[in-house]
Amino acid sequence: MTKEVPRELFDKGLITEDQFNKIEPIVTGKIVSVFYELRSLLYLGVMLFTGGVGILIYQNIGEMGHVLSIITLGILTVVCFWYVFRHSVRYTNGPVKAPTPYYDYIVLLGSLLFISVQGYLQFQFGWLDQNLGWSTLVTATFFFYIAYRFDHLGILSLAITALASFWSIQLSPQKWYTGEFFTGTHLYITAIIFSTVLTGIALALEKQSWKQHFTFTYLNFCLLIFFGGSITGLFDASAWLLYVLLIYGGSVFAYYQAKQKKSFLFLLYAFLATYIATTYFFAETIFKEAEELWFFYSILSCGGFVYFIVKYRNHFTQHP
Amino acid sequence: MKSAYSFDAVYNLFLLKETKRWFKHGLMDRDQHDRIKEAYKTPFYHPNFVIRIVLFVATALALSGVTGVFFLVLADIGEKALYVAAILYGIGSFYALEKLFIRNNHYKSGVTEAVMYHACGFTIGGFFDMGTIVILVICCVVFTFTAIRYLDLMTTLAALGSLAGLLFYQFYQWGGIFQQIIPFLFIVSFTVIYFFTKYVTRKPSVRLWRNNLLVVESVSLLLVYLAGNYLVVRELSIALMGVVLTPGQDIPFAFLFYGLTVIIPVTYLYFGIKNKDIVLLRISLIVVAASVFTFKYYYNFGHPEITLTIAGAIVLLVSIAVLNYLKIKRNGFTRELLLTEKWGAANLEAFVVSQTMGGNTIKTDSGFKGGGGTFGGGGASGDF
Repeated sequence: MTKEVPRELFDKGLITEDQFNKIEPIVTGKIVSVFYELRSLLYLGVMLFTGGVGILIYQNIGEMGHVLSIITLGILTVVCFWYVFRHSVRYTNGPVKAPTPYYDYIVLLGSLLFISVQGYLQFQFGWLDQNLGWSTLVTATFFFYIAYRFDHLGILSLAITALASFWSIQLSPQKWYTGEFFTGTHLYITAIIFSTVLTGIALALEKQSWKQHFTFTYLNFCLLIFFGGSITGLFDASAWLLYVLLIYGGSVFAYYQAKQKKSFLFLLYAFLATYIATTYFFAETIFKEAEELWFFYSILSCGGFVYFIVKYRNHFTQHP
Repeated sequence: MKSAYSFDAVYNLFLLKETKRWFKHGLMDRDQHDRIKEAYKTPFYHPNFVIRIVLFVATALALSGVTGVFFLVLADIGEKALYVAAILYGIGSFYALEKLFIRNNHYKSGVTEAVMYHACGFTIGGFFDMGTIVILVICCVVFTFTAIRYLDLMTTLAALGSLAGLLFYQFYQWGGIFQQIIPFLFIVSFTVIYFFTKYVTRKPSVRLWRNNLLVVESVSLLLVYLAGNYLVVRELSIALMGVVLTPGQDIPFAFLFYGLTVIIPVTYLYFGIKNKDIVLLRISLIVVAASVFTFKYYYNFGHPEITLTIAGAIVLLVSIAVLNYLKIKRNGFTRELLLTEKWGAANLEAFVVSQTMGGNTIKTDSGFKGGGGTFGGGGASGDF
């Protein structure tokens, strides 16, 4: 569809000849960028390698040759970080452009290998084995350091995941599917408090303009944990009205953040959570009496919502 | 068949989307971008992707209410009449889609998709008691219609899927030799479809549908590969055609399928590089992985973790080598980012990292399980 666009714009004098010469080969595919393909491959490589190594270590703990492989891994980790530090750019509060194309992936590889070695050492020498939870705190601290030092969003999200799991909040995909990511009783209260506190910290950091581009990742996780927690609470606890109010509060916050950050993902969360809460509220109250109201409820509530979004479309448009 | 949308409006929208990428990538300044926005206006309501999801979900919920009321009223008219009602309701939904939304310049707004799939669902659902062949044919027709008229990509995919299903089912029903040649049938027909698509794409008259054709192109390549893949053929033969294999035995033409499993990815990769065809190149990466998996599936050495580690090391080394090789532009390939893709956002990448790596690396005390597992069911209560 857009292959002819540069030519047309050039003919109309909307772009200069320089720009035409630059853009035209890209759009028509005379030059092909394999940037994303190579990045995906690098990522896949890191994932397979560290995944394999992780299993390898845990399966063969205590065997001969094992020490050798740990030493190899240790050396590999050191090599990664040697590379990373040698090419590193000075720390700044803003976004940092990676000095080499695979820099970010070396950081990722090094960090994940470091964690494997750390985990092994703990296991083998019984450090902290009384309280394995503390090791996730070490992991989280390490990840936070790496994320801030090398400006790595991926590591940041791993850090948040690790910190959450220190509080026994599981954020891995399997847990999403099965809906069991708050194992244990009343964990949702922990989740709500955790996400609220972390949101506060993230916003404070943003105010200090420390890595403002990290705020999105923080808020994304916090909102997911918060809504996940309060919805679980809604279904689990007898004081469900409290959770309805909590969800409304969170939704208002998410709505303002969505507007401010121009990120409508938060709006999606807010909508879904509010809808679930409102529906639950009605289900517990008036629908118990009149069940046929359900249909009209879904038509009116959702139809109204769609109407609202479309009507105030300018309110929800992204202005670059 | 004509599209429900006017060409100029869609063209302008595409042009604006494309030039926005150029602007965001610093290839033009704000003044120029504003002038282009001025010159190419589009009346469409085509919101941001997340808003579209929000609208889609909300519309789907609202429609479930409409459907509920509709069939509550008609509940007692008898089964046959109900099927007819479903078809009429589906066609009515198509009508509503055009008159209520497309006329008001909704272009892939989330609302349109919800109404569209809803319409497809009921139109097809009305034929539910007619037997598999009829349903598949109707699927083909309805999805193709929707794909062409509303330029929709999901239904393009669905149309191809139902075509493949139809071919498979018909030959499977005929039995005997026809069952045996299903893989070849697929390879031949989707190769033809692929080359036909490539040929048609060049014509200016189909410019509106280029994205649909891109879907057809990629899916055809994948289907050709899958039809020749040893694992797929073998497992389907055992599961569906009652082929019983004792140890040491193999499926008919096994050597051929082994060959295809190797040759097709290599061919894709070769022509992808040679013709600078990014579609072929991307598909080839996927099918190479699938072929490796196929061979590992039948010839494993009992140590998946060693395979993983070695595979990871190889992938890492290869990609670093290619990155170094492409330090300078070669044969029109570059490692530099030319234009930001829609999906290339760092935030998305970060989330993927946490979701795929998180489970591997972070070991915690998962001692106590159970309790509080009601989260997943939350959304369901909103339906009715």
